[in-house]
Amino acid sequence: MMGKDMAKFPRRKFSRPAAVLGGVALLCALGTFAFWEIRSAAAAEMPKTASADNLKLFDQQVKPFLAANCIKCHGGETKIKGGLRLTSRDSVLKGGDDGAVVSLDAPDKSLLLAAINYGGEIKMPPDSKLPPDKIELLTKWVKAGVPWTAGVDLTPAVLAETPASGRPDPPTPEAARKSFWAFQPVKRPPLPAVKDSAWVRNPVDAFILAKLEAKGFKPAPPADKVSLIRRATYDLTGLPPTPAEIDAFVADQSTNAYEKVIDRLLASPHYGEKWGRYWLDLVRYGESNSYERDNPKPNVWRYRDYVIRSFNDDKPYDRFVKEQLAGDEMPDAASSYDPIIATGFYRLGIWDDEPNDRLQARYDGLDDIVTTTGQVFMGLTIDCARCHNHKIDPILQTDYYRLLAFFQNIRPFENGGAGDQTEIFDMPGGRQAYDAQVASKKQQVAATEARIIEIASDFIAKYPAQAAIYAKLTTERERKRKREEVAYGRLIFDEGELALGHKESEEYRKLRRELDEEKHPPDHARALCVSENGATAADTYVCLRGNANVPGEIVHPGFPKVLADGDAVIPKPAPGAKTTGRRTVLANWITSDADPLFTRVMVNRIFQYHFGRGIVRSPNNFGVQGDRPTHPELLDWLASEFKADGLHLKPIHKLLMMSNAYQMSSAVDEKALAEDPQNNLFWRFDLRRLTAEEVRDSILAVDGSLNTKMYGPSIYPFISRGVMAGQTHPGEDWHTTGTDEDNRRSIYVHIKRSLPVPILQAFDAAETDRSCPVRFATVQPTQALGMLNGTFLNEEAQKLADRLKREAGDDLTKQVTLAFRLTTGRVPTQPEISRCLDMMAAMQKHDGATPEQARKYYCLMMLNLNEFMFLD
Amino acid sequence: MSDPQRPTNTFCRRTRREFLWQAGAGFTGLALAGLLDGDGFFGARAYGAHKAAARLNPEEPRFAQLLPKAKSVIFLFMYGGPSHVDTFDYKPKLYELDGKTIQIKTFGRGGKKNEGRVVGPKWKMKQYGQSGKYISDLFPNLATCVDDISFIHSMTADSPIHGSAMLQMNTGKILSGSPCIGSWVNYGLGSVNQNMPGFCVMLDPTGGPISGSKNWSNGYMPASYQGVILRSAGEPILDLKRPDDMTDPMQRRLLDTLKDFNNEHEVSHEGYSELSARVSSYEMAYRMQQYAPDAVDLSKENLATWDMYGLNDKKTEEFGRRCLLARRLVERGVRFVQIYAGGANNDDNWDAHGDLVKNHTFHAGRTDKPIAGLIQDLKQRGLLEETLIVWGGEFGRQPTAEYAKGTGRDHNAAGFTMWMAGGGIKGGTSVGETDELGNAAVTDRFHVKNLHATILHQLGVDPNRLSYFYGGLDQRLVGVEGAEPIRQIIA
Repeated sequence: MMGKDMAKFPRRKFSRPAAVLGGVALLCALGTFAFWEIRSAAAAEMPKTASADNLKLFDQQVKPFLAANCIKCHGGETKIKGGLRLTSRDSVLKGGDDGAVVSLDAPDKSLLLAAINYGGEIKMPPDSKLPPDKIELLTKWVKAGVPWTAGVDLTPAVLAETPASGRPDPPTPEAARKSFWAFQPVKRPPLPAVKDSAWVRNPVDAFILAKLEAKGFKPAPPADKVSLIRRATYDLTGLPPTPAEIDAFVADQSTNAYEKVIDRLLASPHYGEKWGRYWLDLVRYGESNSYERDNPKPNVWRYRDYVIRSFNDDKPYDRFVKEQLAGDEMPDAASSYDPIIATGFYRLGIWDDEPNDRLQARYDGLDDIVTTTGQVFMGLTIDCARCHNHKIDPILQTDYYRLLAFFQNIRPFENGGAGDQTEIFDMPGGRQAYDAQVASKKQQVAATEARIIEIASDFIAKYPAQAAIYAKLTTERERKRKREEVAYGRLIFDEGELALGHKESEEYRKLRRELDEEKHPPDHARALCVSENGATAADTYVCLRGNANVPGEIVHPGFPKVLADGDAVIPKPAPGAKTTGRRTVLANWITSDADPLFTRVMVNRIFQYHFGRGIVRSPNNFGVQGDRPTHPELLDWLASEFKADGLHLKPIHKLLMMSNAYQMSSAVDEKALAEDPQNNLFWRFDLRRLTAEEVRDSILAVDGSLNTKMYGPSIYPFISRGVMAGQTHPGEDWHTTGTDEDNRRSIYVHIKRSLPVPILQAFDAAETDRSCPVRFATVQPTQALGMLNGTFLNEEAQKLADRLKREAGDDLTKQVTLAFRLTTGRVPTQPEISRCLDMMAAMQKHDGATPEQARKYYCLMMLNLNEFMFLD
Repeated sequence: MSDPQRPTNTFCRRTRREFLWQAGAGFTGLALAGLLDGDGFFGARAYGAHKAAARLNPEEPRFAQLLPKAKSVIFLFMYGGPSHVDTFDYKPKLYELDGKTIQIKTFGRGGKKNEGRVVGPKWKMKQYGQSGKYISDLFPNLATCVDDISFIHSMTADSPIHGSAMLQMNTGKILSGSPCIGSWVNYGLGSVNQNMPGFCVMLDPTGGPISGSKNWSNGYMPASYQGVILRSAGEPILDLKRPDDMTDPMQRRLLDTLKDFNNEHEVSHEGYSELSARVSSYEMAYRMQQYAPDAVDLSKENLATWDMYGLNDKKTEEFGRRCLLARRLVERGVRFVQIYAGGANNDDNWDAHGDLVKNHTFHAGRTDKPIAGLIQDLKQRGLLEETLIVWGGEFGRQPTAEYAKGTGRDHNAAGFTMWMAGGGIKGGTSVGETDELGNAAVTDRFHVKNLHATILHQLGVDPNRLSYFYGGLDQRLVGVEGAEPIRQIIA
C-alpha cells in the first residue's frame, strides 16, 4: 500500500497563476533535459509513426480521449491553459508556455507523461489523476511518436473561426515606438492662440484656456486671498497657514504679494516633509516587512530623511533617481552618505522571512524592484510581463527579464545582514575608530575561542565516553573537528559541572555568553542599503510562466524593446569592483533623453499633486491601458521646461502655482458643470479633502501642540489596546516615544505594515505593499466615529479649548473668532458666531454641560467642519 | 477595437468608481452595485469606459447574473491548521500504522522530508446521520449536524507556512497587499444595512492571527472595504462609545450645529458630492452608536438559545458568544462575518506541533458545541439557507510526527479538509479524497481559489467576472486565470 502514489506531493495545479511559488520537482523529474533541444526536435517528421496500427490507436482511443478530457482547456475555450493546444500534432509538438511537452527523442522524459503521472510540478488533469489504463494509453501514444491522422483538427468548429481572445493584440514594440504618443520624444510645442489673452499669466494658462475656449467655457474667477494662501500653504507644506501669515498676505497690497508667499513656502523646511511624503507613497515606503513577524526594518528612517533633505535641497530629479538606483556605484559616494542611503530604495518592500520556496521568493523580491522601477520612474507596468508578454502594452516577457537582469546580482534582503546595511560615520576619523574597534573585537573573539577550545579539550580528557571516541581519531583534522564539536555542543553544558568541576564549568558558561556578545558587531550608526555579490553576475533566465524553477532562454541586461534596440552595454568593472556596474547603466539610461517617459512621468506627478489629478490620470501607467493625457501639449511643454530648468522641481512648482489656472476659485459655473462635471478641462480649481497626514498634522497645528522637530528615527503615537488586540502579541514592536515626540508630524510616524495608525488609515494613507500613485479620498462612518469619539480627537479638542482661553481670554466671541481663524483661516460672520455661542449656551442650559465641557465640544465641532477638512 | 490609441480598459472607470464611493459614502449600498453594473463593474466585459451607461451589448449579463443562494457568509477560521485526519478525514489505515516509520514525502515548516513516523489518529471516528459520515469523537455535537454539511477533503494551498498561507486563505494570494474575501464580497454586493459594517471580524481573546490586520485588510481597494473588528464585550466597535462626559443630547446638539455649518458650506460648493456624503456619514455614525450595541446585546436572547451555543458552560462560553453574535449580525444583513478560533502563537491556536491531543481537545472542546448551536439555530430560524457557513484553517496537518517524540504534526498544504453548510450547499455530502494516509489530495483536488469561487458563486457573484482594476491588471479574488466553484457540493 505504500506504492508509488503515496510518495506524491501535489503542490500545485497547472491552472494556477504562474507568478506563484513552485518547486524544483519538475526539474528533478526531467533530469538534465533541456527545453530548447526538444524544440528543435519538434519539427521532426513522423518516422514510423504513421503506421496503420498507430493511426488506429489514435483514431479509436486517443482522439476521443483528448476530445473528452483535454480540449476544454487545451484547445476549446477562449482561454488556453498554459499556452498549450492539443488540437493537432503540430500544436502538441510545439508545446506550451513551459516549453515542449513531448520529447520524440526521449519519450520517457516527456513533460506530458510526467504531468499525467503526477510526477512533478505539473499535474494533469488537475483535479484527479487518470486511471491507470488511460495513463497507459497516452504513454503508448507518446512512445509511438504521437501518431495523428492527417487533417484531424480537434478545435471545436464553433471556436475555430473566432480569435483566441476578445482583446485586440497589443501593438508590436516596433510599431508602438513609431505611433504611440508616450513613446515619442518630448517636443516643446508652440503656445496655442487664445482669445482672452489677458487671462494668460504664463504658458500654463494658454494651454488650459485654449481648451476651455474651444468648449465655450470661462475659467472660474480668482480665489479670495484667504482661500489662496490656505491652498498654497497646504500644497507646499501640508500645514495650515497661521493667522499671522494670513493677515500679512491679506494686508500686502503689492503686486508680488502672492509670489512672495510662494517663495517663502518653497524655502520652508516643511516643503520637504510634504513632498517627500508623496515620494514615499511612490516607492512603497514601509518600515516593517509584513508577514508573520512583520519585523522592523533597521535604520530605514534614514532613507526618509534623505528624501526630505533631497526635496528641500531641490536636488535635480535625475540625480535623485540615480542615487536611488545606483548611489553605491557613484564616484562621489565616498564624500557623502546620501547616495548610499538612497539605495535603501531597494529594501523598502515586503519580505517573507520564511518563504514557501526560497528561489521563487527571491524572484518575488526582484519583481518588487522591477515593478517599482517600471511604474515609478518609467510609468510602465512592465511587471505585467512577468509570466507572458504584456497583454495590452508592447512589452515583451523578455523585456521584463532584461530589466530584471540589471538587478540580478543584488544580494537578497536579510533584514539587517551584512548585505543590506553599512556603517556610516558622521565624525572625521570615525571609520578608523570603528575599524580599530572591530579589530579589537576580533582579537577578543580569538582569545575567547582559544580558551573555550582549551576547556573543551579538558572536558574530552575527563569525560570517559568522549575520551574514548577522541582516542580513536587519527588525523589532526578529525581531532580539531571533535574539539570544536564538543566546545560548541550541548553535552558540555549539561555534563560540564560533573567532569570539570564548578569553577571551570562556570568559566566556560561565562565565556560562551561573552563570545555571543563579542561576535556582535560594535554598536554603530548604520544605513539600509543595497550591495551586490561582487563584480560578475549569474546568468538571468526568462522564467517560463513566471516560475523561477522553470528557466527558459538566457537574457542580458537591456531596455524595453519599445524604446531601445539591443542589449545594454555594460562597461567592464574596474579591478576590485564590488558591483557589476549594471545599475549605473540602467540609471543613466532611465534619466536620459532616450527614455521619453522619464520627464513626462515626473512633471505629470507634480501637476497631479497641485491640481488634484494628473494630465495623465494614471500616473504610474502611461501605456496603452493607461489614460490618455487630457492636455498632451501642456504635458510636453512642462516636460521640456522641466528639462530646461535642470530637472529642478521648485521652478516647476512656482510656474504652476503662479498660473491663473492654479489661482482660480472652486466656484461653480452651471454650463461647465453640466457639460464637464468631472472638470476634465480645469474650468475651476477643484476642492480637495486633506490627506491623512494633513488631517492629523493640522489638528495638532491648530491646537498649538505640533512639534516641528525634523528628521531622525520614527515616533510611535498612541494606539488603543482594542486596536493592538489584532496583533498576535498585542503591543509588539510598538514603542512609546513620549507626548512631545508623539506630536511630531505624521511623516515621522512608524509605518508598521500590519498595524496602521487608525486615524491615518481611516483617511486613506497609502497602502504600502506596492507603489501608491494616487490616494483614495473615501468618506465612511468609521472616520466620523473616530473624529467624534476617538481619544486623539477628544484630547486635541481639549487642547484647542485651552488655547482659545489662553489666547483669546474669557470673551467667548473672541474665542469663537480665533477658533475660526485657526481652523478655516477666515473670520466668522455674526450669525456664525451666534450659532456657536448658542450651541455652547444650550449645552450648559439644557444638556448639563459645564462651561469647560461646552467649550471643548465646541472645539470638537470645529475640528469636524467640512470647511476645515476640505481645501478650496 | 484595433486602434491602439484607444483605451479599452482604463483608469477612467476607476475614477468614476471613486466618484461613486464619494457619492455613496459609508458602507457601500446596494444601489451602488446597481450603478456600477452599468459602469463596467465586471471588468472582463467592460467597454463603457467613458460613459457610464454605455453598453455595447445589451445582452450582457446583469449584475445579479447568478441566482444568489446565500446573503451572508460566516467564516469560522480555525487558525493554526486543524489536523484533518483527526477530525473529518477518516483514514482507517493510519490507525494501524501508528508509530511506524514510513517513506513519505511531506513539506511543512520543518522543510521537505522523505520519511516520517506515523502518528495514528488520536480519536475514534464514528458514523453519523443519514449520510453515515465518519466524524471524530472531538466533535460530538457537530456530528449531529453532518446531514447539513458538505465536506471538501481534497483542499490544497500553495504554502505550508502560516504567514503566507493565512494571506492566501483570506486574500487568495501568498504575497501581502491584496484585499480580503470579505472586502471583495462587499465590493461586489454592497451592504444591506447602512448602520453596520459589511465585513466584521471577531478575534480570539488570546490575540490576533499572524500578520494581524493584513487578514482583514482592504489591500489596494479603498478603506471602506476594510474589515471592522467587532468585540463581543465592551465597546463593540472602535470609537463607538461616546466620551464618558458626553451625553447623547450634547452629542446631538454638536452634530446639529455641525450639520448647519456643513450645509451652508455645501451650498457654496455645488457639484462636490463628497461634502454631502460626509454630512450623511455623521448621521450614519450616530445611528451606529444606537444600533451596534443593540446588535451585540446577547441579553436579548432567551435561555434556550444561550444553552444551544454553550453560553452557560465556561469552556464554550467565549466562542459561543461570538457564534451567537454572528447570527445576530447576519440577521441584520452583515455580508461577511469572520470568527477566529484561536489566536496568537503555538497552542493558543490549532497549531499542534507538540501535544496534538492536548491542543485539539482544547480547541475542538471550546468550539464544537457553539458551532453546532449556530447551525441548529440558523436552521430553526430559516436562516441557514441564506447563510453560508465555512469552516477550516489555512492548511491541515501531516499524518506523520514532526519530532522524534510526541504526537505533534507539522503543517500540510498538500491536502486538507474544509467544510461548508447552508447557503445553497448540498448537505450530507463529501467531495474529494486524500491518499490512504491523508497526506495529499489525490481525487477531485481543489485549491483555495475554488473555495473562494464557491463562496462568491453562492452569493450570486460570478467569481471569474468580479474584478478590480489595479496595477495595470483586472485583478480578481480567484486570480487572473480564474477558478471554477466546487459544483459537486452545490445544491
